[in-house]
Amino acid sequence: MPSSSLTKLKEPRKHYKLNLLPYLLLLPSIALIFAIIFYPFFTGILYSLREGSLLKLGDYIGLDNYLNLFKQREFHNSLQFSLFFAFFGVLGSYLLGLIFALMLNQKVPGQAILRVSLLLPWVIPSVVSLMSWRWLIADEKGFVNMLITWLGFKPIYFLSTPGLAIFSVIVVKIWRSFPFMMLSILAALQTIDRTLYEAAEIDGANRWQLFRHITFPQLLNISGVLWILMTIWSVNDFDTPFLLTQGGPSFATENLVLLAYRYTFRNNNVGMGSAVAVVSLIILIILALFILRQQSREEK
Amino acid sequence: MSLSRTQTWLLFAALVIIVLLVNLPIISTVLNSLRSTEDLFSSRSFSLNDLSFDNYFYVSQRTKFWQFFGNSLLVSVSAAILGVILSSLAGYALSRYQGLIISSYSRILLMIQMFPLILAIIPLFILFRNLSLINNPLSVILIYTVANLPFATWMFKSFFDGIPRELEEAAAVDGCTPLQGFVRIVLPLAGPGTIAVAIFAFLLAFNEFFIANVFLRNEVNMTLPVGIQIFTQQYGSDWGSLMAAATMTMLPTFFLFLFIQKYMLYGAIGTGVKG
Repeated sequence: MPSSSLTKLKEPRKHYKLNLLPYLLLLPSIALIFAIIFYPFFTGILYSLREGSLLKLGDYIGLDNYLNLFKQREFHNSLQFSLFFAFFGVLGSYLLGLIFALMLNQKVPGQAILRVSLLLPWVIPSVVSLMSWRWLIADEKGFVNMLITWLGFKPIYFLSTPGLAIFSVIVVKIWRSFPFMMLSILAALQTIDRTLYEAAEIDGANRWQLFRHITFPQLLNISGVLWILMTIWSVNDFDTPFLLTQGGPSFATENLVLLAYRYTFRNNNVGMGSAVAVVSLIILIILALFILRQQSREEK
Repeated sequence: MSLSRTQTWLLFAALVIIVLLVNLPIISTVLNSLRSTEDLFSSRSFSLNDLSFDNYFYVSQRTKFWQFFGNSLLVSVSAAILGVILSSLAGYALSRYQGLIISSYSRILLMIQMFPLILAIIPLFILFRNLSLINNPLSVILIYTVANLPFATWMFKSFFDGIPRELEEAAAVDGCTPLQGFVRIVLPLAGPGTIAVAIFAFLLAFNEFFIANVFLRNEVNMTLPVGIQIFTQQYGSDWGSLMAAATMTMLPTFFLFLFIQKYMLYGAIGTGVKG
């Protein structure tokens, strides 16, 4: 049977013989994925080899866009910021997520409500949460600065000093990402076999030893996946830097996505915008290969 | 190792403080939405009498808030319905069949989850412009539907995995085609799960800013997040009204989230973390 080599039933049944159903079930999704992801994906790569604007695409110019891009200082800054942002965002949100998950994994009164309240930063719309943050740390009349001046210190310009703006964007990113880390780690914690702890306690292990020798090794697998997944999402993040600082001051918090957006939709240079997007794609492919290898290792 | 009584209460106190600190931005937004902008920036002490709903009336009557809200509803409900239809079909295929195409499809979903959308957005903008779909809700509905596919399909797959195959076999004996077996037997059994998926899909679309910001530039079609972002440019210093609009925007999200929070683990763990 020609079809059976491609789609095998988990337990073959007579009435399913030549079976087109699985393909028919996938067909609508695949058609939409083709239109919204595959077609633009390949066209986007071709655009990066052309010049032209959103209104009129120009000639193919080989790798000129890339060569031009690598000469731009703003590209190197933005590449650096993207990686810096992703690294510290992931590190911070992982640590916070881990600590909160360990705390919530104990028997505490009101555990369910506490857990749900800690998920809110992840759930509420980015536009809303970043507006709240802007009010908190705004330059002159922000809540934090009113507090600081009331205490008799000089106000801190969180969003208009490059270094502090980078710091603020990362802090907000950590705030928005830790709930996902916490939830995933909490789920993993709950699958750890209780008897392991009981056995270790009988052997006289203390709390740190329990964490070091039982909890932590059991979390390693999921942690690896979480690090990679969150790194990818951070590299792809548009909302946090755009809504907090618009990439400023003087492009200090402009990541690759914002740069591609600015080239394409502000400067109307489709080729350069696409080239930046392709560079971020290459970075993501390297990270995705990691995650796929990790997964196939787990499946074995 | 269980905690002593004192340790439990210390942990509880620590967690309460953490919850308050973490949610400070959200709490302060809600509280400030009840104060006038002049009060927000005056140094005189705060009293309960100053609280009022004036900002809400202002936002309701003087701005296009409700129009944006309606646009958001249209986009999010459509994306949720389309997402549930496509992902329930695909999730069923993933749950009941295996083979090269099925496992490739799984991989594709994982890729979509990590795909740099900016790369697709540029050609999509040109494509949609040629099709006159810019400033048309259909553009973002289609993109949100695809963005929802990975987690929605995995959620459906895990619901269907929990439904015994024998039910469909019995239906087949009674003369149901496999498709009928799916629509009449399996799908109704996944009922509450279906609602959860629909709400997740709705929320993604309702909260989304980046894509809507690119494709819906016209006030007639703008969704709430884009509209609120425009407010912040127009009413930049009127923080009271901004906070009221922000609070009104997050309320639907907040209540729907309470409704589905117990499914959150599927959402988090299903998302490729467990493959």
